[in-house]
Amino acid sequence: MPDNWKISSGQFGILVALYAIGTTILITIADLASEVKQDAWISVITGIGISMPLIGLYNAIGDLYPNMSFVKAIEAALGKWLGKAVSILFIFFCFTGAVALVWIVGNFIVTQMMPETPVLYINILFMALVVMGVRLGLETVVRSAEVLFPWVIVFFIFLILSSTSNLKAENIQPVFESGIKPILRSALFFASIFSLPLVVLLMVFPASLNKLKEGKKAFYTGTLIAGIIMVIIAVFSILILGSDFTARNMYPTYVLAKKISVGKIIERVEAVIAGLWIITIFFKATLYFYAAVLGFAQTLNLRDYRSLTLPLGMIVVSLSLVFFPNATDFIVWDTKTWPSFAIVYGFFLPLLIFIVGKIRNKKEKTTAGHGKADA
Amino acid sequence: MKAVLGILMVTAGIILLEVPCLLEKKLKKELWVFSMLLTFGVIISILMAFGVQLPSPKNMITVIYKPLGDIIFGILQ
Repeated sequence: MPDNWKISSGQFGILVALYAIGTTILITIADLASEVKQDAWISVITGIGISMPLIGLYNAIGDLYPNMSFVKAIEAALGKWLGKAVSILFIFFCFTGAVALVWIVGNFIVTQMMPETPVLYINILFMALVVMGVRLGLETVVRSAEVLFPWVIVFFIFLILSSTSNLKAENIQPVFESGIKPILRSALFFASIFSLPLVVLLMVFPASLNKLKEGKKAFYTGTLIAGIIMVIIAVFSILILGSDFTARNMYPTYVLAKKISVGKIIERVEAVIAGLWIITIFFKATLYFYAAVLGFAQTLNLRDYRSLTLPLGMIVVSLSLVFFPNATDFIVWDTKTWPSFAIVYGFFLPLLIFIVGKIRNKKEKTTAGHGKADA
Repeated sequence: MKAVLGILMVTAGIILLEVPCLLEKKLKKELWVFSMLLTFGVIISILMAFGVQLPSPKNMITVIYKPLGDIIFGILQ
């Protein structure tokens, strides 16, 4: 297994930011607005607050199992057979995430930009890129992330600056109308898309980093940068479109971009802005797929994971066509099933691995202590 | 029929790309896993090309995990 490439902490931070922005920027705001209306931005801030201790948990796992990918850490903690069974479930989680993302890209492009193109071809093209990225390896993906991240920031700043003229302050009033419990509920939902899937990065995090300590800081900064971007996007969606219109659209940020009009010269730039989330979704999908393939290879003790990418890519494309029969089905999945799915693998599983690891460490220390006392 | 032909051509391409390399390096286990995954992929693709309605794995996931979500979100209701 070519595990010898190491990425720097800065590169890892960029990867975290792109991964967390991922689909969150495109679809979450609509679901939040339908739940808590104009308070969606408070939910986003609360969701980021929930995310920080979660990153702490992931960092603690990185401390406990240095030089191990998450799948190997599961095996180290739970023993060979139980570990392998849980690993397969975790791999299935990553795989499902990749399938859902391919569906989102296909649906977004077909409904908003190219209505006459069959969705199959868009899915094949997108998946071909993802497979190519995974075959070339983590280092290539990370370097392309380094090249594309400034563009994401430039597009984002352009989107924000050019839509400031449409802001309407009355859209955000009254503040805090919906109460604490709905805000917490939607914050949890936000975290389930924003930060709980970051567990997938544990396949990369301690093992492929050259400096663990700086990498831990980068984990926080990356999440924070993505969080700031999300808060601004949420505030702007609500201030410009209003909570009602935001909730009714499947892709409110795309509508936000459609409203851009700078001096009647720069108009209809939404296709350029759409590049922003195609980039972020690409990195999210690539990491999901990379985690699934690498995890699969490590569970079966294979020496080379590259040969699995093409057949698995073929399966992802076929499944992406049947996974969601229609868009309503997707919204039900995204708001009802996915949060619990993500909580199980993004919170309970790492927590279990962490507790077991701590107990094992203590036992080892006490037995080592006894050994010394005997001697 | 065209779709099946296309799937088979893609499959042939994948085999040509991967198998010689795997045979050369004598990675037997990898070859086994590769063939099984590819067979699975080809079977579901061809079934879909013939218009068979495959069950979505989403339904199974929903049955298993949704109760937990209902409990957590029920507390915050």
